[in-house]
Amino acid sequence: MSFVSHARNFGRHPGACLKSGAAFAFACAMAILGFAAFRSTRTVEAEEWQPISQEELKMTSVPEAPGAPAVILYRQVDRDDSARTGNEQDYVRIKILTEEGRKYADVEIPYFRDQANIVSLRARTVRPDGSVAMFEGKAYDKTIVKARNVKYLAKTFTLPDVQVGSIIEYRYTEDMAENYVYNSHWILSDELFTRHAKFSLRPNKDFALRWSWPIGLPQGAPPPKQEPSTQIVRMEAANIPAFQTEDFMPPTNELKFRVEFEYSEQNAETDPAKFWKQRGKTLNSQVESFLGKKKDLEQAASQMVAASDSPEVKAQKIYARTQQLRNTSFEVEKTDQEQKRNQAKAIKTAADLLRAGGGDGRDITWGYLGLVRAAGIEAYPVWVSSRDQYFFNPKAMNANELTSNVVLLKLNGKDVYCDPGTAFAPFGFLPWGETAAVGLKLDKDGGSFVTTGLPESAQSVVERKADLKMSDDGTLSGKVTMTFSGLEALRRRIEERNEDEADRKQYMEDQLREYVPIGIEPELTNKPDWNSSSPTLTAEYNLKVQGWATAAGHRALVPVGLFGATEKQLFTHSERVHPIYFQFPCQRKDDVTIELPLNWKVTTIPAEKTQDSHAVVYDLKVTNENGVLHMTRLLRNDLLVIEQKQYPSLRGFFQIVRTGDEQAIVVQPGMASAATH
Amino acid sequence: MSRRSLCNLEWHLLRPTELRAGLCLLLVVACVTIFAARQASASNSGDAPAWMHALVNAPLPEHDEKTDAVLLYSEDNITVQSVDRIHKQVRVAYKILRPGGRDLGNLVIPYRSDSKVLSLRAWSIPAQGKDFEVRDKDAADVAIPAVPGSELITDVRAKFVRIPAADPGNVIGWEYELENRPLVLQDAWYFQNAYPAREEHYSLQLPAGWEYKASWLNHAEAAAQPSGSNQWQWVVNSVPAIKSEEEMPPQSGIEGQMIVSFLAPGGGRTFASWRDMGVWYNDLTRGRRDASSDINQRTTALTSSSKLVLAKMRSIADFIQRDIRYVGIELGIGGFQPHPATDVFAHRYGDCKDKVTLMSSMLKSVGVDSYYVLINTERGSVAPEMPAHVGGFDHAILAIKLPDGLSDGALVAVTQHPKLGRLLFFDPTDELTPFGSLRGALQANYGLLVTEDGGELLELPQLADATTGIRRSAKLKLTAAGTLSGDFVEVRVGDSAARERYLLKSVTKDADRIKPVENVLSNSLPTYHITHASLLNLDRIELPFQFDYSVVADNYAQSTGGLLIVRMRVVGNESSGLLETKEARKYPVVFYGPRRDSDTVEIAMPPGYEVEDLPEPVSVDYGFASYHSKTEVAGNALQYSRTLEIREPSVPLSKVNDLKTLYRVIAADERNTAVLRPAGKQ
Repeated sequence: MSFVSHARNFGRHPGACLKSGAAFAFACAMAILGFAAFRSTRTVEAEEWQPISQEELKMTSVPEAPGAPAVILYRQVDRDDSARTGNEQDYVRIKILTEEGRKYADVEIPYFRDQANIVSLRARTVRPDGSVAMFEGKAYDKTIVKARNVKYLAKTFTLPDVQVGSIIEYRYTEDMAENYVYNSHWILSDELFTRHAKFSLRPNKDFALRWSWPIGLPQGAPPPKQEPSTQIVRMEAANIPAFQTEDFMPPTNELKFRVEFEYSEQNAETDPAKFWKQRGKTLNSQVESFLGKKKDLEQAASQMVAASDSPEVKAQKIYARTQQLRNTSFEVEKTDQEQKRNQAKAIKTAADLLRAGGGDGRDITWGYLGLVRAAGIEAYPVWVSSRDQYFFNPKAMNANELTSNVVLLKLNGKDVYCDPGTAFAPFGFLPWGETAAVGLKLDKDGGSFVTTGLPESAQSVVERKADLKMSDDGTLSGKVTMTFSGLEALRRRIEERNEDEADRKQYMEDQLREYVPIGIEPELTNKPDWNSSSPTLTAEYNLKVQGWATAAGHRALVPVGLFGATEKQLFTHSERVHPIYFQFPCQRKDDVTIELPLNWKVTTIPAEKTQDSHAVVYDLKVTNENGVLHMTRLLRNDLLVIEQKQYPSLRGFFQIVRTGDEQAIVVQPGMASAATH
Repeated sequence: MSRRSLCNLEWHLLRPTELRAGLCLLLVVACVTIFAARQASASNSGDAPAWMHALVNAPLPEHDEKTDAVLLYSEDNITVQSVDRIHKQVRVAYKILRPGGRDLGNLVIPYRSDSKVLSLRAWSIPAQGKDFEVRDKDAADVAIPAVPGSELITDVRAKFVRIPAADPGNVIGWEYELENRPLVLQDAWYFQNAYPAREEHYSLQLPAGWEYKASWLNHAEAAAQPSGSNQWQWVVNSVPAIKSEEEMPPQSGIEGQMIVSFLAPGGGRTFASWRDMGVWYNDLTRGRRDASSDINQRTTALTSSSKLVLAKMRSIADFIQRDIRYVGIELGIGGFQPHPATDVFAHRYGDCKDKVTLMSSMLKSVGVDSYYVLINTERGSVAPEMPAHVGGFDHAILAIKLPDGLSDGALVAVTQHPKLGRLLFFDPTDELTPFGSLRGALQANYGLLVTEDGGELLELPQLADATTGIRRSAKLKLTAAGTLSGDFVEVRVGDSAARERYLLKSVTKDADRIKPVENVLSNSLPTYHITHASLLNLDRIELPFQFDYSVVADNYAQSTGGLLIVRMRVVGNESSGLLETKEARKYPVVFYGPRRDSDTVEIAMPPGYEVEDLPEPVSVDYGFASYHSKTEVAGNALQYSRTLEIREPSVPLSKVNDLKTLYRVIAADERNTAVLRPAGKQ
């Protein structure tokens, strides 16, 4: 359920922000700038309703959006930031094509009470015969949230007599509070296909305005242009595809067509190289300020390392000690009262961090930078753009997309990136969003762009080793050891960091359940090392799988894919719209031994199956030695992003994996038994 | 079956436990907002009250190691001040035992806009350190956002506040006062929830001359202790937790509760019986079904093409289902009282009771009588042993008096009423169940039939299992290389058809209409290629829904040592891991409704092959359900058939082991294989 439901909240900040949950407050704080504005002329109102053509009335489908429940025939957003009180006029016309599409007649327009007001709301339904039912009902002012200093409202209404074939349209003006200007954006991609859209922005004249369209524009749409005479930025687009969500898709930010506007002080830099140099200097001085004087940290560093240690050993020792600091970013979020009570003193420098015995993840990473430098290691601060949200483009000059801080070490001529502020991250490992990510390496001259490393698939492995016996009724039982390494271990430790032992036990048992394609009874027998930054996390189990062997007349079949369940549902659909995006390269390695009952005889084992598609590899091997079956399976995925056109190949690969996993070893049970229930 | 809730009559008394899930979204909103408002200062700390401190060392109720928290103490103090005003004071204290119990620190106090939260304070007593306190001004006031195509406006609101230090080992608690302007003089004390409870109190103060009637459900009755003038108190101790299980009965059908009616001198606004409740609702809806000339005109236009009453009724039903859009605007009494039929007709939208109202009005204009039926969309929420109470229902449907002599095979949701004759139950809000039928959740469910004589709780009919299900047939060909190809026909009726139609309704492009078929196939075939797919009767709900598709599945049969091993169940899964849990089942298993699924598969063997081994037939029957399958050879083809019948809407706890066995039998059968060999080879 989407909070803004189907309100046509095109590019307005509240709804868009609320969709992303907790990111909202941060985003708003960054985006909402309390700039003053002094002169104004209101945007001239467009005509009350645009004319409707017979073609629009008779329309039953749209060739560019076959099967769509509704389409946006026309949409117009006119924003005027030039006045002391700015405003935005929104106009939407939607054609209802199916019964499901009638839901778009329920409209909710959210807004913040102290920042805006919704006025001049008009709405109507145009029936397929052209007759009109005006909205004359009540638009409810719903208080969605009222809290201290915040009142979040929604103008809510529904249109009358909406049938398949109707056209609904509504328009309203969002009047901003006085002197309230913020960085707006035009989100062009909507869940509905848009036939025609027009946008305009009359900028505030006291600030410089920069705009960009990070992922391009819909096909055929000319870029936004500023009219020299009025300074209004305008743009039109047509036939904008409906936005669709899929599994394994890149971040939404990288798929939705949008135009972003950013206000800054007058005379702001327009050359990206100069912009980043300037910004880099500022960021670097902030870091240097945090680090303080080198000698402040030298004593602390000297207590962590021995003078005879190699730089690499020093770096690792300091890393380990730094990660022992209390990291508040990974604790349960405290209420304001708790924070006030616990916070003795604000941490402004690395020395404060060490004195306090901890801080947030950002402080810890910069603290590490200071300590390794104090230990004589060449190291740099780097701000990276986490690729779980953005694919960073420096040309957009959006410093807000540099979201994470890491440290670049120069060790033996090699670049090593570290993020000790991420709890449980092993030395040299970054959380996946920070891997293969563009970052700004800072120095006193501003710095330069770098790209962080990407761990190979062999470094992030789920390894499953099973030593099992089969009983006469086809039940498997025995021991399983599952080892998660690299990013696979890190992800799980972070997920479970604030849980207790009982929950973690359940979690690990559920992990094994996920991998086995039929119901199982796992029992975790060890205590995995949840609280370290060790590169591996190991779980040991007693496992029972009832009915693993099945009857085939007087024979029985033993499937080879004991741990293949998670691959069964991958890429099952033939259609694909977006590129396919994996978080990080990884491997699945299985080593399964099954001891058959003494009087069972193996008649056939599947041939070795290898599918080497370079970036993805599958290898399955089965052997039999005197009634002991041995199966090894490797599934390697070195992919990160692949284009949509390569989807059929990827889908085909996973079909081969499934076919391999479904193969069975044919055995001949003894006279007294059969592998059935 | 995860169809959206079709209606929410807002009849539930506001229960924190029940509303907790529904208000999850509000929590997000509230968290976000409070986060945004963080710059504001928080309340000053204050000590927790003595009644909470007295609980710090109290013995804990019986619990297991998976218990997130225990309820140490609660009290609901109800003071009925007049027919228009009820004062409620609530005190609650929990001890958090595990990290999962932290959720209790997100305190949600639901209320209606016709109520007022007079005060709210909450505290935590950390195992170490000073107490924390939060108050009304720290709370956010939140509303339920609109749901597309469903609830647009409702007056259910909530106060939300985060209690500091709601951590394991700590005691948290709260106290609030609420003033209600009751629509009905009734209250419900729900004293059993997901946490074991140590001690719970309920007290009632009535004005002089008033009386009460208390009914207990799912718990032994606790005696009322007089505690003052016209004042009573009830206490329960050591109440076990209700642990969530899949496919379990609804919470309201199993939780311990006391329903109290407040009886004012001279009566009114409460119900001593279901009949009384029907009288109340009949009064509330009086005049609402009066037709305008526009309604009559439209009814005539819809029905004039046929002289048959049944055809007229179907036309009206179709109009209500398709042309009256579901929109819930439920404010104040609007949660109970339908809008006038004239308004619903004019706007072409309304909620469940509005749709019922307009349909009843239109039926009347063609000479057919009909009646409101109040019901709960979860079977088991209302049972005959329960007292009449408004909290039981969340939906309204229609009982249509069938004219004498009217008979049609499609009219299956019919019951014989001793006074009214044959009644057909119909839910006009359900756009996917045809006139004459009733979806599973409403079958064998209890509803309040409202007539001029009052109300009557009656059981709705349970339809034959054959009215719902999937009938899949396939004619396939196997090659010596193991490739299986051929055509499938999948006919879905009843709820199985409605479910598929519902899924396809939300599809936003034609290309995605194949996805349901892909989902079915990918659950059964490791590799496949769909060469053709089409569907029939997507919009014609009165007809069975049908998928036709053709598939090529390479490597379907395993070729080994000259043999071909063929799994006989080709697609479709009927087994379930529902009962494969470590912990013993505590509650009955509830099905959506009866159904019968069947598969008939014919596989032509590759030329030159013959059967070496066939799976044994399977035949099990537990009364509530049965499963039969067999594989035979007919000429050069293997023929596999199976039928699963779910006959009863639920399986009692005493028989869940039979159900577990049944699922295992089905799972084994679904993996069974036939073995083919080259002809003449022994």
